[in-house]
Amino acid sequence: MLCEFTYLAPKKEKELLDILTEKGPELKLLAGGTDLLANIRLGVITPTIVVDLKKIPGYNVLRFDKKAGLEVGPAVTINQLKDHPDVKKNYHILTIAAEHLASHQLRNRATVIGNIVNASPSADMVPALLCLEASVVIVSKEGERTVPLKEFFTGVKKTVLRPEEILSQLLVPEKHTRAKGGFFKLKRIQGHDLGVVGVALLKTKDEYKCGISSAAPTPVLVEGIPLNTPAKKIIDKVLGAITPIDDIRGSKDYRNFMVGVYIKRLLEELR
Amino acid sequence: MVKIKVKINGETYIREVEENRTLLHFLREDLGLTGTKEGCGAGECGACTIIMNGKSVNSCLVLAPEADGAAIETIEGEAKQGKLSKLQQAFDKHHAVQCGFCTPGMIMTIKELLAKNPKPTEEEIRQGIEGNFCRCTGYQQIIEAVQDATGQRKEKGDLKYV
Ligand SMILES: Cc1cc2nc3c(=O)[nH]c(=O)nc-3n(C[C@H](O)[C@H](O)[C@H](O)COP(=O)(O)OP(=O)(O)OC[C@H]3O[C@@H](n4cnc5c(N)ncnc54)[C@H](O)[C@@H]3O)c2cc1C
Ligand code: FES
Ligand code: FES
Repeated sequence: MLCEFTYLAPKKEKELLDILTEKGPELKLLAGGTDLLANIRLGVITPTIVVDLKKIPGYNVLRFDKKAGLEVGPAVTINQLKDHPDVKKNYHILTIAAEHLASHQLRNRATVIGNIVNASPSADMVPALLCLEASVVIVSKEGERTVPLKEFFTGVKKTVLRPEEILSQLLVPEKHTRAKGGFFKLKRIQGHDLGVVGVALLKTKDEYKCGISSAAPTPVLVEGIPLNTPAKKIIDKVLGAITPIDDIRGSKDYRNFMVGVYIKRLLEELR
Repeated sequence: MVKIKVKINGETYIREVEENRTLLHFLREDLGLTGTKEGCGAGECGACTIIMNGKSVNSCLVLAPEADGAAIETIEGEAKQGKLSKLQQAFDKHHAVQCGFCTPGMIMTIKELLAKNPKPTEEEIRQGIEGNFCRCTGYQQIIEAVQDATGQRKEKGDLKYV
C-alpha cells in the first residue's frame, strides 16, 4: 500500500510552478516514478501531494541542433534517449550508458532527468553526462538558473534543487559531439542490477575526461587528462579522486581494482 | 478519488479510482483482471508487466491516475475466441511455463519486443527479458519458444493450433 496523497497533473508549466511555490516542501514531483513510487512503497517518503509533470506540453522535448547541442525535457525516458538516432550519432557514450540502466520496462518509464535528480551515487547516466559537460536548467516562479552538472550534486541523494524548483531542461553542449567514449558498469549478475562501480571515459579533442559512479557520495568527474598520459598515471589520478566504501554490492578494494581494469579497457578502445 | 478512462484489450473502462492506487492493483483488484501478477511490487521482477500505449511497463510502478486516457494490453487480451496466440502456443509447446507466475509478464514483454524486432537473436531475447524473472525454467525453454514463434528454429513448428 502506498500512503495517501493527492494526485495532480497540471497541464501548464505556470500552474506547476504555482503549486511548487505554495506546497513545495510537502509535495513530490512524479516523472517516471521508478524511484519515487518504490520509495513511497517502502515508506521512506510520505508526500501528501504527488505532482505528475508528464502532461505538460513541451516537457517531452528531445532535440538535437548542430549549434545548440542536445536538449532533453523532464518527461523524456531513458529508452527515448537510447533509441534516438541523433544521440547515437553525436553522443554515443550516452547511448551506451542508457543501455546499462535497469531493464527494458524500467527504461520505458524512467526519465533521464529523474536519474539526475535522484542523485544516487550509482546513477548510470551521470558519469557520461559529466564527461560531456552537461548542464541543467532549474526554474521556479522566481526565475531561472543554469547550473553545470558537476556543481549540481551536494551529497548522497542531495542536490542544489530547492523545494519550489523544478529541473526543466538538461543541456548537452555541441562541444564534444562525435567524441569517442565508452562506459563500463560492473554488476553482480548479467541481468539488471544497480552498479557496483561505473566508469565512463570520453576522448575529447584535447583531453580525456573520466566519470565514475558508485565510488563516492556523488558521481565524480576527473578532467584535464592529457591525451598522451600513460594508463597507470590516469588510473592513479582517478583513484586519488574517488572514495569508495565497502557495502553489500562490493568491497572498496574490488571497486578500486575494477576502476583500474575498466580504464585500461576503455583506453584500448579509444586510443 | 479521481475518474479515469482507460482502454484495456480494446474495451473502454470508466472508473473512480483512489489516487494512490497502482495500475497493477487497479487491474487486479478493481477490475478483476488477475492475469497480471504481483511479484515484488517494486520494479524488480517483471511479473506485473503490461503494455501501455505500445510500451511494456511495470504496472506496479505506475499510478492508476497516470493511465488516464491510455490504451492498455494485458495477458487477458492474448487469446482470441478461446484460441491461444502464436506466442502462447509456442510457450505451451516448449514447456516455457512451469508454475506460470512469470508467464503473463514474460509474454507481454516479448510481445513488445517482437513488435519492434520480429526476429530477435538469442542475445536480443535474453536482453529483452532481462527485467522478467523466471524462477522455474532457467529461461532456456522461453528462449526456444520465442525462436519458434518467430520461425527461427529448425525442427519445423508443429505449433498445436496454428
Ligand atoms: C528495479 C529498479 C532498477 C533500477 N536500476 C537502475 C539502474 O540500473 N541504474 C540507475 O541509474 N538507476 C536505476 N534505478 C533507479 C531509477 O530507475 C532511475 O534513477 C530513473 O532514471 C529515475 O527516473 P524516474 O523518471 O523514474 O524518476 P522519478 O521516480 O519520477 O523521480 C525521482 C526523483 O526525482 C524527482 N524529480 C523527477 N523529475 C524531476 C524534475 N524534472 N525536477 C525536479 N525533481 C524531479 C522526483 O520528485 C523524485 O524525487 C532502478 C530503479 C528500480 C526500481
Ligand atoms: S511486481 Fe512489478 S516488477 Fe515485480
Ligand atoms: S514458470 Fe515459474 S517463474 Fe517462470
